[in-house]
Formats: sequence, structure tokens, C-alpha cells
Amino acid sequence: MSISVLQSGVQMTLQGAQRIGTRHLGVPASGPADPLSMALANRLVGNAADATAFEITFGGAGVRFNTPVSFALTGAPSDLTLNGKPIRLHTTYTAHEGDELQIAPAVQGCRIYLAVAAVLEAKRFLRSTSTYIPAVLGGHEGRALKRNELISMASVRLVPTQTTPESLQPVCSNSYTLRAVEGPDYMERSSSIWEEIYTVTQRASRMGIELSGAFPDAGQGPSRASSAIWPGALQLPPGGRGFLLLADAQTTGGYPHILQVTRADRHLLGQIRPGDRVRFLHRTNEQAREALRAKQALISNWLPDFAL
Amino acid sequence: MSNAAITSCGDDALRFDMPERAIRLARARQLQASGDWIEVVPGRRDITVQFNPHIDTPQSARARLSNTMSKALPSEARSMQHVRLPVHFGGDNGPDLAGIAHSLDLSQSDLIAQLTAQPLDVDMLGFTPGFAYMSGLSERLEIPRLSQPRQQVPPGSVGLITGQCGLYALAGPGGWPLIGRTDVSLFDASADDPFKLQPGMQVQLVDADES
Repeated sequence: MSISVLQSGVQMTLQGAQRIGTRHLGVPASGPADPLSMALANRLVGNAADATAFEITFGGAGVRFNTPVSFALTGAPSDLTLNGKPIRLHTTYTAHEGDELQIAPAVQGCRIYLAVAAVLEAKRFLRSTSTYIPAVLGGHEGRALKRNELISMASVRLVPTQTTPESLQPVCSNSYTLRAVEGPDYMERSSSIWEEIYTVTQRASRMGIELSGAFPDAGQGPSRASSAIWPGALQLPPGGRGFLLLADAQTTGGYPHILQVTRADRHLLGQIRPGDRVRFLHRTNEQAREALRAKQALISNWLPDFAL
Repeated sequence: MSNAAITSCGDDALRFDMPERAIRLARARQLQASGDWIEVVPGRRDITVQFNPHIDTPQSARARLSNTMSKALPSEARSMQHVRLPVHFGGDNGPDLAGIAHSLDLSQSDLIAQLTAQPLDVDMLGFTPGFAYMSGLSERLEIPRLSQPRQQVPPGSVGLITGQCGLYALAGPGGWPLIGRTDVSLFDASADDPFKLQPGMQVQLVDADES
């Protein structure tokens, strides 16, 4: 029982749970760059929210189902076909043996998630199957999938069709407004960042997203002693650009950490692509908590086992 | 001991300074053992803890941290662990050794003698999986980072910058000049504790090629 990779696009990896409680070992969370979209895909096929699924960057990919199995796609919008017939995001389908799924390049957004009603074979490291490419850990041999590779499946199921409620289908855009709180290295002279509209450069990966635009001068002096950093941190390395950290980001760093994208909005980072516009909305920690509570309340009925 | 100031580190994390290594690491172990925190990450001078914002408010997390910090540190039952690490210095194993020695006006063997004269202390793991930051070297050995990081550093590589030695447990990109490499495996993917080096350990580098 398996799935064949026909084209892997810019990057196709297996992602599962985030690694929790491992940052003091230098091991980042990994897991889906957009955990909400992956949870929604898994929901449609009856999997746990963090079951291993395919993360497909920018689309331009295809797979063949060598075994009949139900599947669902979520994330960045693109033209999707099953054996040439158009299909949609956010709906469960069942593939017959030999069916081919084609995912055209994404029109907006960055990552597409393909969940199957089965257990995908993946390497486990520190209690998670998520691929961490820089250290060759987890997933399929610790690396991105290649054309013609086979991914084995177990416990294959056929499940009834479901559709994500429309109000819960995330919308991809070319412009993101992210709620953020002040980071530990925020200074009063950082305040211009709340007014600025930043542009995402070509440096965008699972490690982080580089932003160009006017940032406060981080100074040329030595950076401070390394401290813990997290996905959602906006760092200011020398060179005048900001770097917004994602799932695979390093666990400690010495560059000024001036903002932190709130927990409620961190899932959006995984859909931001080069050329997109980014604005930050100034929030207090209490407002951030309220935003998280409100968003979690919206999704909890549909995704009872998923926490933002 | 008086409480260090607790500062906010985003909407789901708190930080406090703790410059003294032995106290910092003992405090970090105490916080990890409490099970109260999602992550407890010692930095080079501080500790950052992440809380679950679905359960905790910033205030309740801060109060709990403050409460733990007001408690005495558990007495350290375990003795300091020493690890002896044979290193092949220079050549292909340490392509930057000759350049560093030259820039410091030392012979390679003098530099190796300084590196192996005393055990080094593991301050923290961080940056990449299992990368061990070790201190205990003279700050007078002024060594800058590489201007262009290497894309791929072999596992077991030993890096050197001013005052610090770094051990790469795994292959990966790296910006520290490399002076040598150990054959000892620093990583076991299947172990509960996959990394051999832990904060608080003492590491004695030994010249593996010295007959």
C-alpha cells in the first residue's frame, strides 16, 4: 500500500506533530508551517489533527495512489485534478488504485496539505515524524521527497465525504496583517514598525521569512548573548532586514528580537510567500490572549483535538 | 537568593537573567522537572520558559515562575559529569586551525596545547540540534566567526570563536571556524536523550593524534 510521488514541486515533505519540550536540546518544533491547514486536512479524512501528512510548497506537484484511499487537500489555492477532473480544496475524495492527483502551482499562499486516510510511513525522532531537513531528521529519510519515490501506507481507510465549514476555510491573500506583541528587545524607537508595510523577499523557507522595508537600526555592535527564540519572533540581523521565524527556525539566537507574532496568528506565517505584503498590529499580551481564546473558540467544535 | 526580574518574551513566554552558569543550569533542571512549562530553554546568560496560553494568563504564568524562583535550589545530588573527547586537530578535520594559529601568532601545537590545557564547560545546547556551546577558553584568543558560513559541516566538528568552543553533534550548516573533529558519536537518534553532551558537563579535549 503506497503513494508514488510523480512531481515533488519546490519542496514536498512529510510533517506530523510539532516537537515539544526539545528546544533546550537545540531541536526545533518543525511540523507543518501552517498547522491549522494541516489539521483541517486531517479532519476531513478522520485522522488526528497532527497525523503525518504531505506538505507541498507552492504546488506544482503530483502523486499517484497505488492503493484505494480517501484523501483531502487544504491550504494554498491552486487548480487541482484527479485523473484530469477538477476537484476542490476542503473536501474529502476517494482515489481508486492508479488515480493521479495533480496540483498546479499555487495562485496565492505558499503551502498545500495532502492528508490521506491512512498511516504514512515516516521516521520518528523525539516522538514526532516531522521532517527537519537541516539535520536530516524525521519524515522520509530526513529529507524532501523526490520524484518517483514511494511512500508506504498502513491502516488504509475509505471514509465518507466531508467539507470544511465555509467559515473555517482560511483565506489566502497577498497581504497579511499579523497581530504582534513587543519582543524582549523592543525599544521605543522600534515604534515605526507598526506603521510600515513590509515586503517578503525571495528568502522564504521553513526556517523563516525575510522582510524588506524600514526597520529601526539594530546597531552594528556585537549581538547579545544567545537566548531562546521561537517561531513568530521577528529578529533584526545586521543588514537592515527583518527575519520572521517559522517552524524549523533555530532554537537560540543573539540578534535583537523586537516583535513576537501572537500565538493566535502564527499559523498564518506558513502561507506567506515572496512578494507578499506584511503589516504588524500592535497588541498587548492580554489582547493577544483574548485573540487566541476567540480564534480557538471558533475552531474547537470542528477541530476538538487541535490547539493553535 | 533574591528573585531575578522576570520579563515578558512575547505572548507565551517569560525570561529572567541568571548569569551564573551553575545556578542557571540547576534552576533550569528544577523548572524542567516541575512539568509546569512547555519549554525551558537556558541561554548563555538567562532562562526562557514557554507556557501554554490556552491555560495560563501571562499573570498566572508569571506568578508560578516567581513562586518557583523563590524556592531554594534543589541540592545537586549528581556529581559533575566529565567527558573525555579525543579530537583530530587540523588538516581536513580542522581546516581553519592553521589560519587561526597564524592570526594569533601561535604555532598549531601551542594552540592545541591551550585548547587541551583545561576542561571546558558546556553552557547550553542550541542553534542547531545538539550544538554544544562550551566556555572556559581565554578571551584573549580573538577569533571571529567565518564571514561566509559553510553549507555543510561534518558531525563531530569542533569550532572555535573568541572565548568559546562549539561542538557540532550533527552535520549541518555552520559559521564557526573549524579546528578539529572527534570520532566519538555525539548523537543517537533512537535514544531518549539523543545527545551525548548536556549543559553542565565538563569536556576535556584530548589530542587524538599525539603519540
